[in-house]
Amino acid sequence: MRTFVRFPARTSLEQILDGLQRDAQFQEMVTRWETLPARPARYAPFPEWLDGRIGAALRRRGIAQLYSHQAAALEVTRAGRHAVIVTPTASGKTLCYDLPVIDAIAKDPSARALYLFPTKALAQDQLAELERLSADIDIELKTYTYDGDTPPQVRAAIRSAGHVVISNPDMLHTAILPHHTKWVKLFENLQYVVLDELHTYRGVFGSHVANVLRRLRRICAFYGSHPVFICTSATIANPGELAQRHIEGEVVVIDESGAPRGEKVLVFVNPPITHRSLGVRRSALMTGRDIAATLLASGVQTIAFTRSRIQTELLLTYLRQRFPTPQWPPGLVRGYRSGYLPSERRAVERGLRDGSIRGVVSTNALELGIDIGALQAAVLIGYPGTVASTWQQMGRAGRREDLSVAFLVATSQPTDQYIVQHPEYVLERSPEAGLVNPDNLHVLIQHIKCGAFEIPFERKERFGTEDTPGVLSYLDEQGVLHEAGGRYHWSDQSFPAEGMSLRTATSDNVVIIDQTDGKHHVIGEVDRFGAPVILYEQSIYLHESKQFQVERLDWENQKAYVREVKVEYYTMAGVSVRIRVLDEFDRKEASEARGFDRAHGEVLVSAIATIYKKLTLYTNENVGWGKIHIPEQELQTTSFWCAIPERAVAGWPRERTEIALAGLGNLLHGLAPLFLMCDPHDLGMAVEVRSPHTERPTIYLYDMTPGGIGFSERLFRSYDALIERAREHLESCGCQTGCPSCVGPAAALGSDVRESVAHLLSLA
Amino acid sequence: MNDLRSRIAAIVERDRRRHGEAGGDSRGGAGTETLSARETPAHRDGDPSRAGALGAGTAALSPFSVHEQRIALDDLGLEIVGRGACDALLLAHLGLRGDAPARWQDVLWLDTETTGLAGGTGTYVFLLGTAYFSDGELVLRQHLLHDIGYEREFVETIQAEILPFRACASYNGKSFDLPLLRTRWVMTLRSEITVDESHLDLLHPARRLWRDRYGSTGLKQLEESLFDEGRINDIPGSLIPDAYFHYLRRRDPRIIAPVLEHNARDIVSLVRIADRVALAVLAARTGRAPDHAPAAYALARSFERTGELDAAFACFESAYVDGDNELRVKLALAFARQLERRSDVERALRMVETLLELGLGSDRWREQAASRVRRLTKKRWRQLAAAS
Repeated sequence: MRTFVRFPARTSLEQILDGLQRDAQFQEMVTRWETLPARPARYAPFPEWLDGRIGAALRRRGIAQLYSHQAAALEVTRAGRHAVIVTPTASGKTLCYDLPVIDAIAKDPSARALYLFPTKALAQDQLAELERLSADIDIELKTYTYDGDTPPQVRAAIRSAGHVVISNPDMLHTAILPHHTKWVKLFENLQYVVLDELHTYRGVFGSHVANVLRRLRRICAFYGSHPVFICTSATIANPGELAQRHIEGEVVVIDESGAPRGEKVLVFVNPPITHRSLGVRRSALMTGRDIAATLLASGVQTIAFTRSRIQTELLLTYLRQRFPTPQWPPGLVRGYRSGYLPSERRAVERGLRDGSIRGVVSTNALELGIDIGALQAAVLIGYPGTVASTWQQMGRAGRREDLSVAFLVATSQPTDQYIVQHPEYVLERSPEAGLVNPDNLHVLIQHIKCGAFEIPFERKERFGTEDTPGVLSYLDEQGVLHEAGGRYHWSDQSFPAEGMSLRTATSDNVVIIDQTDGKHHVIGEVDRFGAPVILYEQSIYLHESKQFQVERLDWENQKAYVREVKVEYYTMAGVSVRIRVLDEFDRKEASEARGFDRAHGEVLVSAIATIYKKLTLYTNENVGWGKIHIPEQELQTTSFWCAIPERAVAGWPRERTEIALAGLGNLLHGLAPLFLMCDPHDLGMAVEVRSPHTERPTIYLYDMTPGGIGFSERLFRSYDALIERAREHLESCGCQTGCPSCVGPAAALGSDVRESVAHLLSLA
Repeated sequence: MNDLRSRIAAIVERDRRRHGEAGGDSRGGAGTETLSARETPAHRDGDPSRAGALGAGTAALSPFSVHEQRIALDDLGLEIVGRGACDALLLAHLGLRGDAPARWQDVLWLDTETTGLAGGTGTYVFLLGTAYFSDGELVLRQHLLHDIGYEREFVETIQAEILPFRACASYNGKSFDLPLLRTRWVMTLRSEITVDESHLDLLHPARRLWRDRYGSTGLKQLEESLFDEGRINDIPGSLIPDAYFHYLRRRDPRIIAPVLEHNARDIVSLVRIADRVALAVLAARTGRAPDHAPAAYALARSFERTGELDAAFACFESAYVDGDNELRVKLALAFARQLERRSDVERALRMVETLLELGLGSDRWREQAASRVRRLTKKRWRQLAAAS
């Protein structure tokens, strides 16, 4: 039953866009109005070898031919080669792996496939799709999801009878691989492994997943199967490389989409500056609300993306106020985020597909491939953090033929400001790379233990590129493994995969416990190294825009007990960071004329927080201080650093050099995530006016993950591009003397910070 | 290389500290210390751990061994189990799943010792204790693996020995021992184990009969309670994995002896406990229900399932008479059904009505009971009408 929506003024999207283009006030905010022309489809016939029933079923659904990339995926995988498919949202990626799998099972009912999705919600969606398809085709194809929600009584049936098992890497790691003897049928007959949304397997999580896949391949080899991997990925700079690191074999990249696209307008919006010297702009949320309201009022089906749950709720409230009942139908705009009940989420998805829901406000939960049909407009409040996510969110609007529009509304964050002033960064070829470091020793050792538990290691066996025999013999000496008959056997009564999360490098986190209402709720986690800066007794911790005060810190047991408070100040810890370079992996000297010496290598970062200041909100006045009693923290990791030549700071007082270094450090630290697909918190920054290692003023950008995840090497290699972007960004920043969007607030650092940084950059 | 080792060391050390704080370090605990104390200095000096694992030492010691003992049925004090024919209904009371074996000799009694309780592919079965009846004796055979490198041969040997048996008996084997053995069979032979096509898992009957009375129904507790025998110098189960890892490195038989002893006692207890369950069943069949009311109740339910309704009746009656009100409420409706079957509608009605009048039972139970009273009242009226 379709709900009929009564719209006072029904205007077409063309008319709205036309109106916006003529609206001078709106145009002042627009930094780029890009029209992507429509693109026709490129088709290919069904391959002759494809099981006849599949083609027939697809024809009945109105699919007479395949898109060119789907046909390419079929041919590549049939030849037994691994593939990674990199095409836009809604280009029919699913068929790229469903078809080879169904064809294999149609030809041999004993064939098996394993699908891995990064989240449970995606798995559910995929299950429904595959069931519909196989019902049409009329072949016996049993598909099951196997995750934490699977009831124990059906697990046995799934293990022996499921043709396609849909799961996630975490489940593979703790539940399937350590019990592989219960999955003999699957592993003996495994023909395909599907890795959907491959770009999400990066950083720490990706490094763990790459090791889980190594373990998977060991077990497949044990049972004599050699599955073909089919991956899909959003657009990143290095899909082939990323897939190769995961699969450790040759991968064919299929990145030319044959799917058609309607005309699409992309608008980059920068809200106006309201406070020039502080670089404060009008709220992106409010600006986004106005755009979304304009679209919704004309009946344009719209999705708005926010960056956090709290913003989702706020925007939803604002929009509901804008469209009150009874003038407007109830449920015109709905919210969607994790934390909603699955049934609510399914209802929203359905409503969006059938058109009864006209607007939805979502976190990135709707960014991945959940089927919500084609919407006409997308409004992104804030840069989603990566180009890949930006395209995925923008891709939610517009499918095959019609005109669609996507707005990106920038906040005053440095990355947002960079993007909105340099839209070509998004529009041109993506510079950002999905990075993993499966041989990070911290990660590797944990998986070698899991691997030994699963199947004993041969003495000469290699697991990753690090010196596997060395690790094995060390673990043997420690009694974790036991060597017998030329093989290393697990010899510990623990179950190594238990309590080992794929989402963190070490399980060394400080847990934040809210005891406001007398009960204990865990509201967050901070890694142990970063904790002293954020969690000390009396510190104010911000969580979902609420203030909490740390009442007690149990450092030994890694727990911080907090209580909600309402105060007019925030706290800031004074931290002293020392960096000791342990090993230099690579170095590039500056040329005579310009440039900084740069290098990357292994470092030991020691940080100690000693005092904190209380600063008033908005005015930053110092209203008190206290001592912090937390021992010095050490982090062994990898770092990128660049040393500034003495002549660049010649004649400067030490203080000015300090300020300039801090400013340049802030600027680089703000922009580096653009290359790394990471969160700013994944990267640490430190400066030294005279580094004992380089003997010069030096800026360090280091990996916050113990052992490093590959960021520093990437920064080393992208140095020129990084400096170039820093220069561009500083030039185009709207502030006068330095603001949080570029080098940091001049009020806190010093009024000459921007000028000094510009000077350094001119020599970089 | 040294650099790598020091880095690994730092990482492993940190992991260990964390796990150690949480749940007790898996090695270096109290068990290892007591065992080390018994070592002779000679063993400590020579460091035979490496030699044991590598070539030379292996040739001297066989990679696995069998320890056999024969015990006369009389010495075990067995009255039913192992003697005479096997009765299918009796086996049902002993927790049988699957077809009933024809003779006691067809049942393989078993218990494993493993390198951990977690299960999964990295948990090894290093000791399989088996027992079967032969010529008035219980033949106890313990298969011990001395060298994990020979697990495959170890499993092959055991496989050959247990292949003739299609039925087994265990204590909690359904969820522990057999899944582990199944895993080892796949890991080494890639084949299925068939010894548990019929399986008597004594844990469940033992729990039903004795948990209420003795609290725990662990084998050790039952030995103390049923046979009045405590174990002396028994190695606690939690220390067994570490004792074995220690043994793998030292190869000192004195390290593993307590584990063999522990396993042997477990199997003997298993057989004796089965006998005690069987005795209780047989006694109840002749009208002597257990004097402990919850046990009588448990047997009553068991007899209901096997269709031995007279025995069920005797047990219900005994449980009702000896039991407290809570137990009475629990069994009243089932007991009423038995009374009704014996056409004693009057007594059934009286019993349920009394409990209702005493205000006992949960709301839900009271609803059911009231409905039963209505139905029984009607039935009594019909009977009275028919009689008049």
